[in-house]
Amino acid sequence: MILVVGAIASGKKEYVKSLGYSDSDIADAILDERPVLYNLQDMVFSDPEGSGNLYDALLKKEVVICNEVGSGIIPVDETERKAREATGRLCNRLAQAAERVVRLVCGIPVVIKG
Amino acid sequence: MRILLTGGSACGKSTYAEKLAMRFSTPRYYIATMRIYDEESRKKVERHRQMRKTKNFITIERDTDIHLIELSRRGTVLLECMCNLTANEMFDRYGNITDVYNKIISGIESLASQCENLIVVTNDVGSDGGKYDESTQEYIRTLGRLNISLAERFDCVYEMVCGIPIVLKGRLL
Repeated sequence: MILVVGAIASGKKEYVKSLGYSDSDIADAILDERPVLYNLQDMVFSDPEGSGNLYDALLKKEVVICNEVGSGIIPVDETERKAREATGRLCNRLAQAAERVVRLVCGIPVVIKG
Repeated sequence: MRILLTGGSACGKSTYAEKLAMRFSTPRYYIATMRIYDEESRKKVERHRQMRKTKNFITIERDTDIHLIELSRRGTVLLECMCNLTANEMFDRYGNITDVYNKIISGIESLASQCENLIVVTNDVGSDGGKYDESTQEYIRTLGRLNISLAERFDCVYEMVCGIPIVLKGRLL
């Protein structure tokens, strides 16, 4: 599995397409048979408490794309705060298992693992 | 050796900081700055205590005034974290703001002079670009200036992303 992270509009999806995937390979925040999962953070935000259960299914994906959501001022709103932390912790676990982790900055893929 | 670790929420800073500390000389001091004021902070402190349980840290709980800390022996200090310390120093319970930059810098220098290795965990609070009220903006600016100053003084600066250290200054240990 390749984990692709980065800020909003940092070029994550374009990068994944450059690996040979097309729009029809990319599932938007839903688990199905498509090889690429996009917007993982949306799945975590819709159910932060249960997000750890996504782990096994995500490992079977070829590519997982997630926004980096942990930067900046810690939100006052508890739900938002917990969702941010849950996203971070899930990504830490995925990064450990991933064969490669790529972080997009200004459209530039920076390989941080593998 | 002085190391600064930065990054957003839940990016693996604490885990990595503890892992680094375990490779350095003993005794290992953990300076805990979180102020316990509700159930969530209590849980967070408990989670960190569990993480440190088997690692033989001497825990020093001090949510302000780190310049008063006196270490009995030279060893390794892990200070966690700058964002709590700065908020605790800046805002009293009436919401009054104090200028704390020099106070915190001398506190860090005092710690650095008493140990062989110092690891400081901070946070990346300025990078959401959001507009906040004046006191929060002042907090963001103060922590930003502190981070810059520590990065200048320290040997290594790492940004944590998904639990992976990215070297911004120095080398990977």
